[in-house]
Amino acid sequence: MTSDLTALRRSLAAAGITPATVVPAASAGRREEAEIHLATLLEGDRVEARDVGEPAGWPDPVAFLDGVQHSEVVGYAGSSPIVVASVAAAVRERTARVLATKLVQRRELAIGRRAALDAAGPVLDALERIELSDVDPPHPIRELAQAGAALDDARGALEVAVGVAYRNESRGWLVIDGSLAESPVWAQDHRMVGVAKSHSSLPFDGADLVAYLRLPPGHRSPIFAPASRRLAPVRAWAVRLWPWEGKDLLHGLIRVEVAPVNGTPVMADQISRWLLAERAPISAPDPRWDRMLYGIRSVEDFLKATRVSPHR
Amino acid sequence: MSAPIGRVVATELKPSTPHQFYFWTATESEVGIGAIVRVDHPGRTVYGVVTDGMAYADLASPLHAVIGAEGDPSVVASEPTARTEVRLFLAAVLRQVPEEPLQPVPLGAVHLATDADVELALRMDAYTRSERPTGIPVGVYALGGHESPVLLDADFLLGPEAAHLNITGVSGLATKTSAVEFLLSSIFQTFPTHRGSIAAVCFNVKGPDLCFLDQPGEISERDHALYEKLGLAAEPLKKARYFAPFKADGVNLNTLRTHEALQHNTEPLVWGLREVLDYAEVVMNRDDIDAKADAFIDFLGERVVGREFTDDLLRGKPFRVESFADLEEFFRAIFDFMEAMGRGGEVWRTHHVATIRKVRNRLGNISTRAKGLVIDDGAPNDLPWGKFEDRTVYVVDVAGVDPLAQDLVFARCVSKLREHLERRDLGVDHVVVFVDELNKYAPADGPDTYVRKMLLDLAERGRYLGLVLFSAQQFRSQVQRRIVGNAGTSVFGRMDMDELATPAYATLSPAIKIKLATLPKGELMLRHPHFTQPIFARFPRPAMLSGREGVERFPPGAELPFADAVARQLKQLDRRVTTDAVRALVEGRPDLDVRRALALTRRTRPDDALAFFSAKLGRRIGGEVVTPRSTVRPVPTGVDPYQ
Repeated sequence: MTSDLTALRRSLAAAGITPATVVPAASAGRREEAEIHLATLLEGDRVEARDVGEPAGWPDPVAFLDGVQHSEVVGYAGSSPIVVASVAAAVRERTARVLATKLVQRRELAIGRRAALDAAGPVLDALERIELSDVDPPHPIRELAQAGAALDDARGALEVAVGVAYRNESRGWLVIDGSLAESPVWAQDHRMVGVAKSHSSLPFDGADLVAYLRLPPGHRSPIFAPASRRLAPVRAWAVRLWPWEGKDLLHGLIRVEVAPVNGTPVMADQISRWLLAERAPISAPDPRWDRMLYGIRSVEDFLKATRVSPHR
Repeated sequence: MSAPIGRVVATELKPSTPHQFYFWTATESEVGIGAIVRVDHPGRTVYGVVTDGMAYADLASPLHAVIGAEGDPSVVASEPTARTEVRLFLAAVLRQVPEEPLQPVPLGAVHLATDADVELALRMDAYTRSERPTGIPVGVYALGGHESPVLLDADFLLGPEAAHLNITGVSGLATKTSAVEFLLSSIFQTFPTHRGSIAAVCFNVKGPDLCFLDQPGEISERDHALYEKLGLAAEPLKKARYFAPFKADGVNLNTLRTHEALQHNTEPLVWGLREVLDYAEVVMNRDDIDAKADAFIDFLGERVVGREFTDDLLRGKPFRVESFADLEEFFRAIFDFMEAMGRGGEVWRTHHVATIRKVRNRLGNISTRAKGLVIDDGAPNDLPWGKFEDRTVYVVDVAGVDPLAQDLVFARCVSKLREHLERRDLGVDHVVVFVDELNKYAPADGPDTYVRKMLLDLAERGRYLGLVLFSAQQFRSQVQRRIVGNAGTSVFGRMDMDELATPAYATLSPAIKIKLATLPKGELMLRHPHFTQPIFARFPRPAMLSGREGVERFPPGAELPFADAVARQLKQLDRRVTTDAVRALVEGRPDLDVRRALALTRRTRPDDALAFFSAKLGRRIGGEVVTPRSTVRPVPTGVDPYQ
C-alpha cells in the first residue's frame, strides 16, 4: 500500500475530495457465509474416519503460497467512498528445513466508482484503478461491500498468478492456503494441495456431517467431490490434525483439496501423512495455529513484515 | 566494500539512541560479544561494539514448543520446517562520524570492522596518524580470523595526560604477569623518543615470576605473526638488571635467579642505617609512631647518623654513627649514662628513656626481620639512582623476604624514584613501577599503612613526574578505590564471577561479564581513555622465559658455604679470583668482618678484587695462649668460723 496515506489524503483534499480515515470491516480478508453444499462421496458409501498412518515428511522441495490484503477509505467524493488497498502474494519454498522466499508480487489499488476516482484527478494515478459498478445509485455501504469483494478478487487473482508462475518453474509440491478451485489451472495441477481452514461451507449433512466433524486425530474423511467446485472440479477430504475434545468441534480440522488425478485413497493417505507431519512446528501464537501450517504462516508473516506501514 | 552482516533495527520498545543500537544478523554470522561493527548511512557512519546478544523464535510461549513437539524434545530436530529465529545484537556506540550533531544511530547496514574501522572506532587515529605518533601496541582486536592492531596512547598510559595501568584477573588464568611483560616489551620498543627516555622498576613479589625477563623464550608461529602484525620484535627485554637481598648469612642472594649463567646482572640489594632511617615509619606500626618517637627519630637523622656527634656526658670522644652497630653503641652509651644518673636520669636531651628504648627496639628489630636486606655494618648496595638507563628494566626480587622488608623496599625505592624524578636527575624521564598483588599492599580495608599512602600518592600525583604505576591484583574490588580509579588504563583478564557481581562492575552487561568469566589465556578486556567502551584484545605470549620455564632452564644454584659464596661474589668483580684463595683468606675470620670487606670491595670495584678484599679484611690477629694467673690460695682451715 502506498506508504504515505496522510499525504495522499492531503492531495485528495486539495482535489476537492473530503478526506476520511476508515478501515473497513474485514478489510484484511474475505467474509464467508455458513452453508451446506452437499458433496459427492467418492470413497465408500458413507462418511467414516480412516486412519492415515504415521506422519511422514514431505519430500523436498515443498513450497507454500499465501496472500494478504489491506484497505483503507481515504476519502469521499460526494457520498462515494474511495478505497486505497494493497494485495500481495508470495511463495516460500522449503529445502532442507529452511524456508526461503521464491516469488512475491504486490498490487497497489484505488477502488471506487468511476466518478469518485475521476474526481480525485491525478492524485491516484500511481495506483491501479478498480472501478465499481455505477448502475445503481450511490450508496456508501453497498460500495464498501463491493470494494471488499473486488479486493478479494484482486488478491485471489494475484495468488493464482504467483502460484502458476511458481509451478511453471518448479517441480516441487505447492501448498496453498485455501481452495484449489480458485483457478482451473490450479485445479488440474498434480503438484498442488489446497488446505482450507474455514468450514463455513460444509459438504455433508445428517450422520455424515457428524462423522465428518467428529474425525479423530490422525484420521481423514473419505474422498469427495465438492459441489461448489463445478467450474474447476477438485477432490477433497478432511483431516484432523489435533484432538478436538475439550476444545472445539473444528479444532485441528482442515479440508484438503487436490486435482482429480490425485484423488485416490493412496494419495489421500500419503498427503494426509505429510500434512500431519506439518503440525510441527506449530504456528502459535496465531489463534488459528491448530489449522494453519507453519509454512503458510511464514508466508503471511513475510508479507506482513515487508508491507510498508501506511502513515495515518 | 564487503557485504553487510546485519541491519540496524529500531522499534518503539527497542529504539536506537545516540549511545546504543540493535541490529539483526543471519543466524550464522561472525558477530559475537565484543565485535566491533560499522553502521553505514548516508551522511553518517557509526562505530559500535557488541555488548549483548539475544536470540528468539516466533513463539509466544515455551508451551507452544512443547505442544508442537508433543513433549518430545528429540522431535524438534526432525520437524519439517526449522522455526524462524532471530539473532539480535545490542551494540554500544564507540564513535559517530560526524561527531556533531550527536544523533540516534540510523537504520543502516551493519558491517564488520576493518583495520581502518578499528582505528577510527577506537579514536586511535588521533595519536597514530599525527606528526609525532604516540601509539603503543597492546594487542590485536581479533574476530573471525581478522586481526587489527590495538594501540594505547603513550600520553595517556605513561603521562602526562593520564597515566597508570591496572590489571585484574584470577590467578593462573588471567595472564596478568604475561600481559605486563608483553606491554613492557612493547613500551621499550615503541615509546617515542620525542617523549623522552623510559625505564621500569619491577618488584617481584612471588616465586620466579619476573626473574627471567632478559632470557628468550619460545613462542608459537601464531604469536610470531601477532608480533609482526603489531610491528614488534619478538625478543626479551634486552637490558635488565636484577637486585635481590641476601639471605640471613649475608652472602647468598635471596632469589631464585642464582644460576651461574645469570650472575652477570644479578646484584645484591643491601641497605644500611642511613637508607633505612628515613623510612622508619614504614617499619613501625601506628601505635609506635607518636610525636615523641617521631621527634627522637628526627633527632637521630639530623644530628647523629652520618655525622660526628659529641656529648661529653655520654663519653669523651665523639660518636660516628654509620651503621646499626654504631647506633647500638650510641644507644648503649645513653642507657649507661642514664643508669649512672640514677633517680632523675629518665630524660636525655628532653627525650624520655621510654621513648629512646622504644625507638631502639623498633630500629633494632629491622635488622633482625630484614636480615639480608639491612646490614648491621658495612657498605650498602643500591639501585643505580641517578644512573638509570633508557629502556632498561630493574627488577627488585623481594619474593623471599619478610613482608616488613618488602614494605621497606617498596617505600624506599618508590620514594627515591620520586625524589630523583622531581629533581630530574634519575637518568630517565619516565619510570614504570610494576607492583603485583596490589590488594596486599593497598587493600580497600585495613590500616592506612605507609605503603598504601605511598601508592596512593603515586597514583594521584605520579603522572606529573613521569612516575607511572602498573599494578596487578586478583580482585580489583579489594584494592583502595582511589588507586585503581586513578589508573587511566584498566585491563581485565579472566575474572571470578563473585568479583564480577560486585558494584564496581555494574556498568558491564551480563554478556560481557560471562565473556570475562570465560576469557581464554592471552585475551584481555581493555579500558583506555580514548576508547569509549571496553574492548577485547589478544596479545602474543611474551618472548621471554616465564618464571616456571626459567627455573627449569636455569635451576637456582645450591646455597653455597659462606666462603664459597664470598668467592662467587668476588669472581663477578674479578674473574681471576679463585675459591681456594678466598677460603684461605676468610678462614677463622668473623663473618661480620668478611661481609664488611666484601661490601667495600663490591662498592669500590677495584682492579684487583682479591687484594683489595684482603686488605680490607685486615691483618689476621694471631691466637694467644692464656695461662691462668697465679692466685692466693685460700687458707685451708677446714673450720667454718661462723658456725
